[in-house]
Amino acid sequence: MTKTDLHHQIRNCLQQVAELANCQLIEPVTDDTVLLQSGLDSLGFAMLVAQLEEELGFDPFSEMEIAVYPRTFAEFVSIYQQYQLKYAGG
Amino acid sequence: MRKLVVVSGASRGLGLAICRQLLQTGYAVLALARTHSQDLQQLQQQQPALHFMAADLAELAEIPALCSRIVKAFGRPYALINNAAVGYDGVLATMHNSEIGSLLNINVQAPILLSKYLLRPMLLNQSGRIVNISSIIARTGFNGLSVYAASKAALEGFSKSLAREVGKAGITVNCVAPGYMQTEMTSSLQGDKLESIKRRSPLGRLATPDDAAAAVLYLLSEQAGAVTGTVITVDAGSTA
Repeated sequence: MTKTDLHHQIRNCLQQVAELANCQLIEPVTDDTVLLQSGLDSLGFAMLVAQLEEELGFDPFSEMEIAVYPRTFAEFVSIYQQYQLKYAGG
Repeated sequence: MRKLVVVSGASRGLGLAICRQLLQTGYAVLALARTHSQDLQQLQQQQPALHFMAADLAELAEIPALCSRIVKAFGRPYALINNAAVGYDGVLATMHNSEIGSLLNINVQAPILLSKYLLRPMLLNQSGRIVNISSIIARTGFNGLSVYAASKAALEGFSKSLAREVGKAGITVNCVAPGYMQTEMTSSLQGDKLESIKRRSPLGRLATPDDAAAAVLYLLSEQAGAVTGTVITVDAGSTA
């Protein structure tokens, strides 16, 4: 999966989860959107991480040695991209 | 399709009684325990909906991977019963620090982590149940059980706040607090002490693992859909 595909998949997941969590996302969500201002609530983010774990097979936040809280959508995606490379590389 | 319930500490005592009642009621059960006990194996022969996965919950770092394996192999669970616990007794002043640490890991951290990781698939299902097995010792004192008491009080506090956190996702979180039951965990409680607990109980007996398991079954039922953030005491009235 390319970086762009992953970016696209996370964006799709965000939409799905927002619907499930009954949250109204701001339009448009861009790379610079601050997550806390995206319209998704904290439980919604937990669902996003859960959904991505089911789809991608990993949860980068559980694998990190220290707690990291991405601020923007781009930072969130970038964490997944880093871990995807790690998984792809074995 | 049968709803899947994950039960920790399922090899004996209350955990085994919970598994037995769940299977009789039509749930599928994933039993977690360190060892695949003979009782569990026998139950599995009669009940093909009983699955077993070996898990040592003292290995906290393994819990995320364990939960991933569970969801991959069995799908999203409907409920989690955090029943596994250790009950070392001894006065605090001479209890070894390693024992204090391992009791808190197994009785508090492990159920919190299992809840964290099995809650996620429940969030995606927008429904689920978590039942944490507490004890009347969370709220009544007993000589020699201070650390155990701390662990059970912690679970009750955890359950109430988590109930508030996940209620809007259709997930309930409750505790069942049994009184003294005759299981291996309480085997050191004998003679006069045991008789005095029985005598002081309004019903003149101890609660059994089956009595406590029935409360767990109720909390999993549709009828308990409006019950969350609470503790059901099953102690034959000992703390009344």
